[in-house]
Amino acid sequence: MTPTPENAAATIRRGLLLSTVGLLGLALVYLLAHRFTPIEVRQGLAQKIFYVHAPAAWAAMLAFALVGVCGGLYLWLRDPRLDLFAEASAEVGLVFGLIMLTTGPIWGKPIWGTWWTWDARLTLTLLLVFLFVGYRALRGALSDPAERARYSAVVGILGLMLVPFVHLSVYLFRTLHPQPVLLKPSAPSMPAPMLRTLLTSIAVFTLLYVGFAMTRYGLGLMREARGAADAD
Amino acid sequence: MQTSPPDNGGYMIAAYLIVGVVILGYALSLLRRARTALRRE
Repeated sequence: MTPTPENAAATIRRGLLLSTVGLLGLALVYLLAHRFTPIEVRQGLAQKIFYVHAPAAWAAMLAFALVGVCGGLYLWLRDPRLDLFAEASAEVGLVFGLIMLTTGPIWGKPIWGTWWTWDARLTLTLLLVFLFVGYRALRGALSDPAERARYSAVVGILGLMLVPFVHLSVYLFRTLHPQPVLLKPSAPSMPAPMLRTLLTSIAVFTLLYVGFAMTRYGLGLMREARGAADAD
Repeated sequence: MQTSPPDNGGYMIAAYLIVGVVILGYALSLLRRARTALRRE
């Protein structure tokens, strides 16, 4: 099904609206984290980096996982919209990946005493981000849309397979990285005010992901609609 | 025994600044691309 410029424009507008709400939500997270969340005694103010680092990591993993899911579905259904969404999700995932990879070391320096260590979680996360940088480069290098979608889908699926290893790496290997406080079999290991800020931030980063990905997907739809119109 | 939190607020400010700059920067980039696309609609 070929997208129409009207559908693409409506998707872009919806995405921009959600992104705006997400940005307002981010301001709320900043306020919650700084004014209404207690300071952790052992880590000090640096602990508050967690309220943006972990949600950014969540959004990045969600984005990268959805690239793989859409890739798999594309190989099955051959619907170009799935490829367009995968393209959008990969770009947005890299934005959140950049936040994850910069805020992590900024927390690590005062807490671990080092900006970076080559332990399993950090190394696997870096590899995952590199894989999606490669994904973007691959897309840019292939001009045939069907070939580009097919090869990209395979790389996206490889990325999806890496996501659970990144999450489980803190259990599978000896690592400096803290264990999950939320995505684990037992109850969340955080005081209620901190948990409230974390959950709010996760909701806001998810909303930002949806808004950004929808806008970017709409831009892809518009490009395809214009391409189809020019070809006619 | 440590009784007060360590003084490391600068790291927190740096992290939150980076998050704001990256998110706002990307949002503005999307907005610019969207305006160009919608103008040509």
